[in-house]
Amino acid sequence: MKSPVVNIQNFTLKFQHSTVLDELCWHINAGENWLLSGKSGSGKTVLAKAIAQLIPDYGAITTTIGLRSAIHYVANWYQFKDLEGQSNFYYQQRYNKQSVETTNTVGAELRYFGKKHQLDFDEVIPILTALNVNDLLSATLIQLSSGEHKKLQLLKALWLRPKLLILDLPYNGLDSASRKNLNHLLDGVATSGTQLILIANDTEIPSCINRFAKIEHGKIVESDEMQPRKFELLEVDRPLPEFLTVNNWPEPVGHLIKMIDVKVSYGDKIVLEDINWEVKPGEKWALQGPNGSGKSTLLSLICADHPQAFANNFYLFGNKRGSGESIWEIKERIGLISPELHWYFDPSATVWQSIVSGFYDSAGLFCEPGYTKSRQADELIDYFGLMPYKNTLVSQLPLGTQRLALLGRTIIKNPELLILDEPCQGLDTQQIIHFNKLVDELCKNGTTLIYVGHYESQLPTCIEKRIVLENGRIKALENILEMAVQD
Amino acid sequence: MANYFNTLSLREKLNQLGVCDFMESSEFLDGVNALKGKKLVIVGCGAQGLNQGLNLRDSGLDVSYALRKEAIEGKRDSWKNATENNFKVGTYEELIPSADVVINLTPDKQHTAVVNAIMPLMKEGATLSYSHGFNIVEEGMQVRKDLTVIMVAPKCPGSEVRAEYVRGFGVPTLIAVHPENDPQGKGLAQAKAYCVGTGGHKAGVLRSSFVAEVKSDLMGEQTILCGLLQTGSILSFDKMIEKGIEAGYASKLVQYGVEVITEALKQGGITAMMDRLSNPAKIKAFEISEELKTIMRPLFQKHQDDIMSGEFSKTMMEDWANGDKNLLKWRAETGETAFEKTPAGDVKIGEQEYFDNYTLMVAFVRAGVELAFETMVDAGIKPESAYYESLHETPLIANTIARKKLFEMNRVISDTAEYGCYLFDQACKPLLSDFMKKVDSDLVGKNFNEGKDGSVDNRKLIEVNDAIRNHPVEKIGSELRKAMTAMKAIKTV
Repeated sequence: MKSPVVNIQNFTLKFQHSTVLDELCWHINAGENWLLSGKSGSGKTVLAKAIAQLIPDYGAITTTIGLRSAIHYVANWYQFKDLEGQSNFYYQQRYNKQSVETTNTVGAELRYFGKKHQLDFDEVIPILTALNVNDLLSATLIQLSSGEHKKLQLLKALWLRPKLLILDLPYNGLDSASRKNLNHLLDGVATSGTQLILIANDTEIPSCINRFAKIEHGKIVESDEMQPRKFELLEVDRPLPEFLTVNNWPEPVGHLIKMIDVKVSYGDKIVLEDINWEVKPGEKWALQGPNGSGKSTLLSLICADHPQAFANNFYLFGNKRGSGESIWEIKERIGLISPELHWYFDPSATVWQSIVSGFYDSAGLFCEPGYTKSRQADELIDYFGLMPYKNTLVSQLPLGTQRLALLGRTIIKNPELLILDEPCQGLDTQQIIHFNKLVDELCKNGTTLIYVGHYESQLPTCIEKRIVLENGRIKALENILEMAVQD
Repeated sequence: MANYFNTLSLREKLNQLGVCDFMESSEFLDGVNALKGKKLVIVGCGAQGLNQGLNLRDSGLDVSYALRKEAIEGKRDSWKNATENNFKVGTYEELIPSADVVINLTPDKQHTAVVNAIMPLMKEGATLSYSHGFNIVEEGMQVRKDLTVIMVAPKCPGSEVRAEYVRGFGVPTLIAVHPENDPQGKGLAQAKAYCVGTGGHKAGVLRSSFVAEVKSDLMGEQTILCGLLQTGSILSFDKMIEKGIEAGYASKLVQYGVEVITEALKQGGITAMMDRLSNPAKIKAFEISEELKTIMRPLFQKHQDDIMSGEFSKTMMEDWANGDKNLLKWRAETGETAFEKTPAGDVKIGEQEYFDNYTLMVAFVRAGVELAFETMVDAGIKPESAYYESLHETPLIANTIARKKLFEMNRVISDTAEYGCYLFDQACKPLLSDFMKKVDSDLVGKNFNEGKDGSVDNRKLIEVNDAIRNHPVEKIGSELRKAMTAMKAIKTV
């Protein structure tokens, strides 16, 4: 019998005091394309990194793939540096015009990558077209949205055509058309000889996937077909911590948000135009649109992160923007989570510090919170099941757990306006159900909600209205509930 | 115009040098109220101008930019910075007359021209704000008596001022009120409100004076911050080449090493930096830094003396008048050094390796920081001021070297700092020539611990640790750092 392409024998890996991988064995044979799933924190990412030789495997992994460069791992995280080698960006930076010129353009970055790996630039053009990002070539890295960064990462990997391609949560942040395109491209590289390991909890997967496995209790459990997605219901439906059910918000005004002909542009490039939108207190909105349609820019105006707010006619919480209010007075009333906030969050903060920092709208904790706030943080940490990680650095946790901690930060002050921009990226099915239930529960008490999600099936049930953007303009403003009644 | 400091009596000199009060956070409870509803007009829109303006506006204040007609018509970078971020921009004539506070954030060298142009336009009783006191103290600018003159100086590059603010924090800031120009007694309240507007109050505010700021700032930048980092980098690189270390490796070690080493300084002072070394290396670094302190002390003293007497600013201003002849010549020479011309090699150097293979730089940094601090304090500057201008700023300058070597450092710092840096560097190199002859590659380029068994004498180690930990710069540093521990690392590697 031919020896497997990747042979893993008794691989054990510990994180702090718990065993993540427990004498794990796994064979990957020629011709096999795997889907690897598992709960958040089950060890998918460390296993993938060990196979790609990015972390030590202590001799447990052997492979017949000779060259190290023939195995390529696409991380569930992205990083980039500016032209001077700095990577300490902050997420508002992409909205400042003068910051834009300090990072490379996508085109220059790709040319550099191609040269380094001796690739033909002509070959990347069809991939760019397939992922619908041709017009990004002249954009600089800092201008990209999280979905566009993900696409850049994926197209490099597809261009490289390694012998073994490991993709860790590649669908994160991609809109539904892009997910289909990606699957099509993956089928293409699989036909031309690249083997795949796809780490995902998705059901829409490329048709070339022919083996299925998940990690359970530190071991690989194989199966011949995709297991039907099990909705593991939570054993106990725990009540919301009490401090989140009471609020002392100011008297509601006619509208929380009112935008009149809002426009945002960088030079000739128009990002938003003719935006007329009103959000009344207590309304639950879904904000939708493909990658690059202007969703994050729209939200950045509301969150007081965009300097062009000062050149526009719009009202927040009843006050005209730019009439002498500070951004901290606005942020105080908003609970925000977004992929950008997550990417740029302070990696040196612990779970507890990150959650408490939500009271102060700061990225990292800079002051002593006092007894009441500390106790509320503990309650919330317990509610999310994060007690074991209370004093762990956020950056050391699995992506899903990091996300939960930041979600705790978002809701801890029980804000009157919740802005959840793809809050469930990186969460597993069980966590998503848990979180959306929590959102429904929170919103019962009159919270206003704006929710961005690329997966129609993963929206909380309380959503009643929808705004859809396309190319920076409003494509639709709909009342979902009315439509449901008409149907 | 006469040097302001030299017009003062000795008593008043000491009095102003000694203004130094690390402010309690309770002093900022009034927020931005003292500036609320006032018209703030910033002159100049470079990195400091733009980023301070963004912060002040985000704090609810009314900010616009006054630029020279040529900058507006030529659509220069300053005009682009301001308009693309949706600020109101106008000429001096359009904006200054209605301004309540005019914030001068132009380069030092332009101050006299700028202030002479705006002063006649300013309305009765308005405020003029500086971020550096050179114009007032060294050039002796006389400001109209009805105007209030304050200083607000964030101790970080403009980009950091913005980055820390949007994180919900701020950068350490120094404020002052000019005693000759505070007719209504509102200067301090406005300076405090300004600090709240830029977020500085969260990271520690030091109340200083124009005099103390200038005399300590000049001393810091000429000696430890720019001068010694330049001298140390060039000597280290040349030594490695002489000893046959591969040029790409040497270039990378020097370019990034000073940043990695001084990052430890930022977190925990000289102690933390020295603790990154093995015990034998620490003792060695201590011994050679003591030797360096003895050799360089007279040079540090000369710089401080020339700064105090006004001799330094006099010679520099003569060079300004001479079309920057010396400055430009020395700048060109820096661009021609072997270190500058050798690109960093594509080799991986681990974080600890920067300490183990570059013990010499650790010794340079300790000697330079302690000497600058000691010399300033001996001259009547208070320890808090001396700390900010020596230890605190060293990692910030090191970061500019990591970006693009010495040329970049000299481009980013002010022309004043650059001029003083070259003066120091030219005097320091010959002073160290005998010392450098004894230096071998175990101190720079190779791992100091290689081939040694790591044993040390207990008593010797205790003595060295004591000397490092009990230095006055460590005492004041641990107090001041408490206020700013939350600052994010600025790291290139």
